[in-house]
Amino acid sequence: MPLELLLALVAGGISAIALLLHLTGRSRQAVLGTGSARTAWLRHFPGDSVIKVLPAASGQAALILTGNGPGLLWAFGADTAGRRLTAGQVRETADGLHFAFNDFAAPSLALPLPEGERRHWLAQIAATAEAA
Amino acid sequence: MTGQISYPDATQLAVPFFIAAILAEFLWIAVKKRGGRYETRDAVTSLIMGAGSVAEGLLLGFIAWALLMALWELTPLDMGTSIWAILACFVLDDLRYYWVHRLGHRVRWVWASHVNHHSSQHYNLTTALRQTWTGTFTFMMTVKAPMVLLGFHPALVLFCGGLNLIYQFWIHTEAVGRLPRWFEAVMNTPSHHRAHHGRNPRYLDCNYAGVFIVWDRMFGTFVPEQDHDRPDYGLVHNIATFNPLRVAFHEWIGIFKDMAQPGLTLKQRLLYAFAPPGYSHDGSRDTSAGIKAAHLARHPEDAGTPGFGG
Repeated sequence: MPLELLLALVAGGISAIALLLHLTGRSRQAVLGTGSARTAWLRHFPGDSVIKVLPAASGQAALILTGNGPGLLWAFGADTAGRRLTAGQVRETADGLHFAFNDFAAPSLALPLPEGERRHWLAQIAATAEAA
Repeated sequence: MTGQISYPDATQLAVPFFIAAILAEFLWIAVKKRGGRYETRDAVTSLIMGAGSVAEGLLLGFIAWALLMALWELTPLDMGTSIWAILACFVLDDLRYYWVHRLGHRVRWVWASHVNHHSSQHYNLTTALRQTWTGTFTFMMTVKAPMVLLGFHPALVLFCGGLNLIYQFWIHTEAVGRLPRWFEAVMNTPSHHRAHHGRNPRYLDCNYAGVFIVWDRMFGTFVPEQDHDRPDYGLVHNIATFNPLRVAFHEWIGIFKDMAQPGLTLKQRLLYAFAPPGYSHDGSRDTSAGIKAAHLARHPEDAGTPGFGG
């Protein structure tokens, strides 16, 4: 197959499929509540005992407090991603929290959170990390 | 041996079929409202990985070709190009695929290349195209050497490898349930391969087959898909990126970061590269064996069932 034709097929095919999926609503993000966040966390970390789940009001993410320490679960497309947290990985920003996971497969995450919510999260992260 | 033989690049020729089949699967799911899920960024990432894999083949394929042609010059054997030679080569190449795939899950160096194929939390026809960009660096092309030395021309060996990959495309779907028993007994099917893609402890390290599932039955790695334990797709530790560069290289970066830790012995550094995925010098991570054991500690009723020694 000529290279020009292969390139056109690949570029056209990817673009068409992306457009079709987007226009049919397949770009929607997962929205996390207490129950769905607990279930999703246990899917990622089946051995954990979940003590408390604090979903963000936006539904974009949830702070999970477990016997092994705090963790962050967040919407990753229609699915979720989760990582354990240490206090050093979390930084307060002007409009929320910034998480740096030191993981090439999980780039840092900027999560918008109202001031009251982020203060509460920071306190819970520090307390749970210390207790674990 | 000498001789000029050429076969079409079957994988490239199949690209229009891949696109049409993906559209058909998506429409089927949309109409029937069952049989799988699609997500825009996940699908686009998979498709870009597929395109990148073809590009890698165009750029670096000469390395494998040069190696195999050098061996072809050495061997006194020539199986020819009859239909029987092609069939024999196809079956032997599938056996070769089984072992390379098994190494791809049991040796971290090879897993670093293969991991991206398992990195989607979805399972649809686009997942089939989420292929490696770094296969050349695993040196697994050397496993093709015995076939060339047996007298199969490198062009035929690569042609059969392409047909093998094309066969595997259609089994990446939830739209097909189970097929007739005779077919499920001999061939790799959507059901068997769904189990292979499961991150459930039961399904870790099973069903490595490409075309013929009989290899898993022969070598003790077959686990049938269980209706009460549906495969949960993705990695044990799922990645959190749609960036194709991160998808392609994250495990390689992980290997080098692990090997570069201070205070390790040479043996520990080498084990981070070549031991099964999940190895750690301090026991802080779990291999598949550890994950299965931890699952059985929580669910002792599963002992002796498929995937847990049953």
